[in-house]
Amino acid sequence: MKEFMENRLKIKRKVLVVDDEAVNRKMLEKMLEGSYEILEASNGREALTVILDNQDTLSLVLLDLLMPVMDGYELLSLIENDVNLKHIPVIVLTSEKSAEVKSLNMGAADFIPKPYDLPEVILARVNKTIQLYENINIVSATQYDELTSLFNREFFMEYCTVIDQYYPDTDMDAVVININRFHVLNEMYGRPFGDELLKKIAASVKGYVRENRGIACRYHADMFYIYMPHTDYIEEIFRQIVTDVSDKLEDAGGRIRVGIYPRVNRRLDIHRRMDCALLACNSIKGKYNAHIAYYDSEMREKEAYAERLMADMEKALSEKQFVVYYQPKMAIQEGVPHLTSAEALIRWQHPELGMISPGHFIPLFEENGMIRKLDRYVWREAAAQVAAWKNTYGITIPVSVNVSRIDMLEPGFIDEIMNIVKEAGITPDEYMLEVTESAYTEDSDRIIEVVNDLRSAGFRIEMDDFGTGYSSLNMLSSLPIDVLKLDMRFIRNIHTNPKDLRMVVLIMDIAEYLNLTVVAEGVEFKEQYELLRQAGVHVIQGFYFSKPIHPDRFSDFIKERIEYDNSREA
Amino acid sequence: MITVEKLNELGCNTSEGLERCFNDEEFYLGLIPEAFSGERYKALDEKVKAKDLEGAFEEAHAIKGVLANLALTPLYDVVSEITELLRSRTDTDYSPLLNKMWDIKAKFDAEL
Repeated sequence: MKEFMENRLKIKRKVLVVDDEAVNRKMLEKMLEGSYEILEASNGREALTVILDNQDTLSLVLLDLLMPVMDGYELLSLIENDVNLKHIPVIVLTSEKSAEVKSLNMGAADFIPKPYDLPEVILARVNKTIQLYENINIVSATQYDELTSLFNREFFMEYCTVIDQYYPDTDMDAVVININRFHVLNEMYGRPFGDELLKKIAASVKGYVRENRGIACRYHADMFYIYMPHTDYIEEIFRQIVTDVSDKLEDAGGRIRVGIYPRVNRRLDIHRRMDCALLACNSIKGKYNAHIAYYDSEMREKEAYAERLMADMEKALSEKQFVVYYQPKMAIQEGVPHLTSAEALIRWQHPELGMISPGHFIPLFEENGMIRKLDRYVWREAAAQVAAWKNTYGITIPVSVNVSRIDMLEPGFIDEIMNIVKEAGITPDEYMLEVTESAYTEDSDRIIEVVNDLRSAGFRIEMDDFGTGYSSLNMLSSLPIDVLKLDMRFIRNIHTNPKDLRMVVLIMDIAEYLNLTVVAEGVEFKEQYELLRQAGVHVIQGFYFSKPIHPDRFSDFIKERIEYDNSREA
Repeated sequence: MITVEKLNELGCNTSEGLERCFNDEEFYLGLIPEAFSGERYKALDEKVKAKDLEGAFEEAHAIKGVLANLALTPLYDVVSEITELLRSRTDTDYSPLLNKMWDIKAKFDAEL
């Protein structure tokens, strides 16, 4: 820093010499003028004026103690008690041993005894003090979050480690605070409103946490981390914080969530401990009357399970522990219900944990990026299966696979999927791609372009989970799709809720107008099936006909389909 | 014009004083008249006589500091003795010490 300022910026730091004796001032000036710009004052009052005029650029005060008008002690006290001045180090000039101790206790950085030591010694002490304070000031400026004045995340984590080192036997609690829909509030009410909210939370947190000898930081955006000695009253503390900010927050439609990991396990590193509190915090994301959640044994088990799955992923892929199951899609409008196609669905046959459903492992694959490998594994297996059935039974049973938005935005995606189909020896029209409705909401132009290319290449496109996104009727008419797959939520209560049924009927009208095939998935009961058939839904997928099954067991459906085809021909 | 040799003859430890001035003789010698000028000596004398021992201590302490830095030993020794008595607010007859101070100072003044 010193080198940078002197060599690059050609700036000399300023040092103020305060002494009522001109001879003493001149001697110090002689010693320091080669390295510093020297300012002078002959008493405390004069010095204070110089300091105030130069408070942002002054690097050091060399201060005599016994002076007329205002002595050195008084000036030192003023400097140390002024938040705007206390960053300026003061070295006291004195011949008294007792004065050395007193001034150091009052906040002086160092002392220089009188008569003066050799100039080299004084210069070295001055250099050292300035360097030390500059480092302290830099550290102090970078350790706080500018908006809330809480620690920033790096220093928070560092201080947590320090607390652990100094208090290894103290039980500690980790807490995470987050706000539901904060970005929406920011958008609705503007950034200043959001900032005020964060400041209010920070002020409340600061007060209670400090009282309990803890530390807090704004981890990012609307997330706060707290680490504090364990107290049995922790819930009361955070309930109070919730109360402090709820008025402003809830009026605006937001909600504060607190996740508490009490008596943290010290064997976990600090990031993992905070993750546990975050897990608790996120566990009440959708529970609108819950503000506080604890990290408990159930979460611990879930997490241990997730960790195990993450650790086993690579091996599972290389050992082909993943099995693609197929769920039949049954055409129901013509004749008896018969197999028309199937959806490929992944299962993990874990050698020790048994069959694992995708709900448990897909989010983990998405989290660590391995979903890309897994998707391609499914695509290949499904294409090979279509070819295998074709070879065995002489009939094409098209299979649909899920394709994510990310997949479609990847360069070379179309070539890749074409190669998979070609390598399996089938044609694109024997293979279907399911794209969720929500995939169209971002980069929709680019997605539509890719989907158009895929359709031109011969693939059929199904819009999955239709009804969960926000497709406008106008947008729907322009989307390049062949099939609408109704979201399960419409189907679940269709037999008990007339509104859901009316919605399906409405969608059927639209689909008919747009000439789209409609698939209803998640159909479990006969009542649902009957209503959907009457509403005109073309294809049914769900436990009513079959759960997803191993390809070996799928042959029964194919044989029935062949019989159906034969009977129609006859 | 005072010289380093003259100061040595008067008993000063000039090598020590010069070291504090990067051995810059001209600078060092330029400071000597300032160490003897001013009102401090007079103020010290007056405050002692007026029994303002606190005020006198501050004057003596300031003079002592300058003399120590310039290593003007003979005068430093006597002012140092006065300072220590004043520090403890000793109520004594300071005339002999003050006279000695004036005598030594006069010798320096004669060379300036």
